[in-house]
Amino acid sequence: MHIAVCVKQVPDTTEVKINPETGTLIRTGVPSIINPYDHFALQTAMGLKKLHGCRVTVISMGPPQARSVVQMGMALGADDGVLLSDMAFAGSDTWATSYALAKAVKKLGKVDLILAGMQAIDGDTAQTGPGMAQQLGIPQVSFCEKIDLDGRKLIARRLIDGGYEIVEVKVPALFTMIMPRDYVPVYPAFLETHASLKKPYYVWSAADIGAEPRYLGLKGSPTQVARIYPPQQREKAAMTGGSAQEAAEKILEIMRKEHFIAE
Amino acid sequence: MPSMDAISRNLMLDSLKAYARKNISNDFIREKDQANEFPAKILKDMYDHSILGVHLLMIPEEYGGVSGGTYDIYRICEVLAHIDLGIATSVFATFLGTDPLNVGGTVDQKKKWLERIAKENLMVAYAATEADAGSDLLNLRTRAEHVLKNGQLAGYRLTGNKQWISNGGVADLYTVLAMAPGGPCWFLVEKEMEGFSPNKHEDKHGIRLSNTAGLSLDNVFVPKENLIGEVEGQGLVQAQAVFGYTRLMVAAFGLGAGWEAVEQAVRYSQQRIQAGGPLSDKQGYTHKLIVPHAVELEAARAYIEETAYRLDGGEHGLQTEGAIAKYSASESGNRAAEDAIQALGGYGYTHDFPVEKIKRDVKITCIYEGTSEVLEMTIYRGRWQEHLKTRGRYYADIADKMDCLHAANPDVGAGAAALALRALAAVMEECRLAKLTRHQAVTFKLGGLISLAELAYVFAQAAAKDKYSESVRFDVQAWRAMARVYARGAALRIAAEGLALVTGAADGAGGLAAAVDMDAVQAAQKGMMADMDLVAAKLKQTFKAK
Amino acid sequence: MINVSKKCIGCNKCVPVCPFAAIQLIEKKAVINEACTLCGACVQVCPVTAIEITREEAAARDLSGYRGVWVFVELMEGSDKAGSPRKIRPVVFELLSAGRRLADELGEELSAVLLTDKNPGFEKELGAYGADKVYLVENPELHEYNTDIFATAIIALTHKHKPSAMLYGATIMGRDLAPRVASCLYTGLTADCTALAIKDGLLLQSRPAFGGNIMADILSPGSRPQMATVRPNVMKLAEPIYGKVAVTVREEIKIDKNLRRVKVLERNLERGNGGVKLEDARIIVSGGRGMKTREKFKVLEELSRLLGGVVGASRAAVDLGLKEKAHQVGQSGTTVSPKLYLSFGISGAVQHIVGMKASDVIVAVNKDPNAPIFSVAKYGVVGDAHEIAPKLIEALKKSKA
Repeated sequence: MHIAVCVKQVPDTTEVKINPETGTLIRTGVPSIINPYDHFALQTAMGLKKLHGCRVTVISMGPPQARSVVQMGMALGADDGVLLSDMAFAGSDTWATSYALAKAVKKLGKVDLILAGMQAIDGDTAQTGPGMAQQLGIPQVSFCEKIDLDGRKLIARRLIDGGYEIVEVKVPALFTMIMPRDYVPVYPAFLETHASLKKPYYVWSAADIGAEPRYLGLKGSPTQVARIYPPQQREKAAMTGGSAQEAAEKILEIMRKEHFIAE
Repeated sequence: MPSMDAISRNLMLDSLKAYARKNISNDFIREKDQANEFPAKILKDMYDHSILGVHLLMIPEEYGGVSGGTYDIYRICEVLAHIDLGIATSVFATFLGTDPLNVGGTVDQKKKWLERIAKENLMVAYAATEADAGSDLLNLRTRAEHVLKNGQLAGYRLTGNKQWISNGGVADLYTVLAMAPGGPCWFLVEKEMEGFSPNKHEDKHGIRLSNTAGLSLDNVFVPKENLIGEVEGQGLVQAQAVFGYTRLMVAAFGLGAGWEAVEQAVRYSQQRIQAGGPLSDKQGYTHKLIVPHAVELEAARAYIEETAYRLDGGEHGLQTEGAIAKYSASESGNRAAEDAIQALGGYGYTHDFPVEKIKRDVKITCIYEGTSEVLEMTIYRGRWQEHLKTRGRYYADIADKMDCLHAANPDVGAGAAALALRALAAVMEECRLAKLTRHQAVTFKLGGLISLAELAYVFAQAAAKDKYSESVRFDVQAWRAMARVYARGAALRIAAEGLALVTGAADGAGGLAAAVDMDAVQAAQKGMMADMDLVAAKLKQTFKAK
Repeated sequence: MINVSKKCIGCNKCVPVCPFAAIQLIEKKAVINEACTLCGACVQVCPVTAIEITREEAAARDLSGYRGVWVFVELMEGSDKAGSPRKIRPVVFELLSAGRRLADELGEELSAVLLTDKNPGFEKELGAYGADKVYLVENPELHEYNTDIFATAIIALTHKHKPSAMLYGATIMGRDLAPRVASCLYTGLTADCTALAIKDGLLLQSRPAFGGNIMADILSPGSRPQMATVRPNVMKLAEPIYGKVAVTVREEIKIDKNLRRVKVLERNLERGNGGVKLEDARIIVSGGRGMKTREKFKVLEELSRLLGGVVGASRAAVDLGLKEKAHQVGQSGTTVSPKLYLSFGISGAVQHIVGMKASDVIVAVNKDPNAPIFSVAKYGVVGDAHEIAPKLIEALKKSKA
């Protein structure tokens, strides 16, 4: 069984700063991390590998420094790694990204299971996984907390609005992963990181995966960013006073206005 | 040993940071600090090669390690210092303890012991210091007597007492310095050996999470294969050989602990509103308690990194450079922590906030691995030789290079650095002419001034680069402003204090007043206020209020 | 463009799956005719990936003829699969409210898309919130949500009726379905929009990114339908006009059982976790020294229960024994980031603020108008916390009745 895990290197959004004058992002000094959901997807894959002896390939699309997350995947146990890196990918929205990733998976050959994090913490769209599945023509299971393998069948626990489901699907299939409550991220020991340098690592360009330029980058992206701006600044507190009764009524009004209670 | 690639190194640092986030909370550290307790589980995990394996950085790949270079070790030490200096010291002690083996061991000894340390996750301790032999190791009292079997040397019997040994009560393996008939030697002693016992864990002012204990050796028998290098008398040479980079490790401690304190102050100052605005907007506060320390610490960083690159590039020794790095970073770290308490005011004075602990912890960095005073002397000795050898041209030549740099990059403080260097050269020359180095106070003071000048020019050079190292969290604008601020300060102190030093000790100052060029130094101060404002703003940007 | 390659083995799996009967098996090879809408159902079931769809470049497409704003009607799943009547998820009405506004501005129709096994007369509610039409697909295979089946149906409807824009709730279902549809149609989809508007005839979609640190305005100029998902409690609900019923347009779409590749074995609607922890809480009602006594502090527990929140406490309150340490918020307690932080009698010492500053909406009650907590609060109420809290409980209970 061959598992491909898609991971993304993202800025640590808790550290991102905005230039107050221009409203643009300041990236200097913001550390890059592995997208936490993808980290969980990697651990899920390693769990399956441990139980069933699967081959795991970790794939990432990004600039050269994204090699870091591919190597991390190999340090955590993946057998080999691929970085999709090409100027042509720059400016891709989720459609163009899922197109390129789907092409890369096709190039890997017969992949039985694809795992990806449910969303990336920079884009927050949760669209790339389902987009990939659609382009590969395979079923998708999103918001997944746990996967078990039973022969050629996958049994998964996934979230739904208001609860959870247990579903079953045959390979090949794509799962997007969301961390369960008891999730503990595992980081590689120093020896594992050191050993990962010896594992097969490939860098593929758009040409290597047979991606057509018209479906890539800004040109191939159906969505366009028209404008980026900082969110509304925290204004000074709106102050109010009066008797205890008046104050209570005012608080009730505030909570209605902010949608914390029904109108 | 060359350092590893940046990606592997940073993955290792990430694993360490992730472990700390999960297992070493502020509350945990506070609790241990209060109880004076060694966090045994944490250190066990750190040495466990299936969890982290920090000790593997010191061990070459062929023995099961990861072949860390100087730059790698500096970065790990800095990150450990941010977490807790006691824990950092415990890891450092293993590095130190492994050193005599790395430097002086025979091939068989290295294979046997380094492999064991790697595979069995052994914690090591470096047992040199004694009650009467601290800065002065020649006063060594622990003896190693020959033990003969059938007329042949079978081993040694070690007797003596060691004091203040980090990991003393918890290590698995000890490298013990003892005086054999042929001179001082390092012996490998395992904790179970008969006659060997650690004493109680000391009750210390700081680094209370580090186990510090004396050792009693009562006729401990070690086989002759446990004499490192299997030749007597090499002990001090072996110890000296690694000072270059062991001093860098402690420099990294001063840097990491100092920055942890400054960061706390910067974040706090943005939240604390007094007199209509946050403290971070008040010059009287930032320009006294925060900016100068940020500047000094980054200057120390530039110097540490330059030295690390040279060692990784194959140069040996660099003991004077190591001394300058350790002296500067540890003293700067101390000042930073002191003012961080002040910056947090009443809150900083309580145990709830981490800065008072950082201050207690970082003090040790001025004491162990060479006290600041010993290092001042070491620095002076090392550079005095250069001054004499080059007939006073050593610093003048570097000053010329700074002039060229200033012509190409006028915004990195190279001009002020050149003034600092020339002033220093003039002071040193006057000391030589008036034979002032017969006063020990003069030599120690020179050590301090030399450090200022060296950091100034190395910082200028580093700031002039197009791309900064991975450890620098500031942009080009910010770092260059810091380099300018540092160089101005260095030039001012060297000119003023150097002149005073000489005038105070000599009969006449000769032409020194003109030679230090105080007018030019004063003129070079122009722009200082604006630069400090810039640095304050960049610090705010980089370390947001949480 | 769609193409059947040499890989085709004539297995006949694709023929029955096509909702438009556009495939025939001719001489053991699948042949596709003009009825094909590029929905992709056949691609999905082909065991040898012999069928490939190539998309037209965004720039080259003909966008004329796309009119109308659509809203996907999400139904709440039941746990018993016997199919007791399901309700419309409330976010749908918010989408209709927003959609009505957009449709009016465009001068176009607002339609709801309802996929279900049995429609109990939803056109009434959907009409009341502004839908002109309901495109209804009634089919036993639609008794529960399934990605492939629902996507196929929507794509078929989209090809037939060409909407200009389509809105989905950014629920789990919406975030599973919308990207699948958008990918197949090679059209733009923007997730979690916090605002929608019309600009030069296009749908202007605004959303947060980078963990909420920036806002972005997105357009999909070259593709249709322009798709967007919106979270619940974001769009303002319009006043329903009862009596305004939407016109039902019944659509027959063939749904083959084989499209159901993911099977639901079990569904559980309780989220089996007991008490919510402080750090995960969506609403925190927090008390400080101003609550005075343990008894008065207990009032906050009732308030918190009524709001569905968790109780927090300042260090001062904990030290005074008003509440256990486990509830302490602050530097030496827990750091929280709820949507609502409602504080009573907390002055806002730095070490407390550090622990709750990240809250979305902070409402602070304190009798001192200069209390530091007001510098981080969105709303400040000056008054006696221990008197206001019980009054708030009264008012809340009255409003719920």
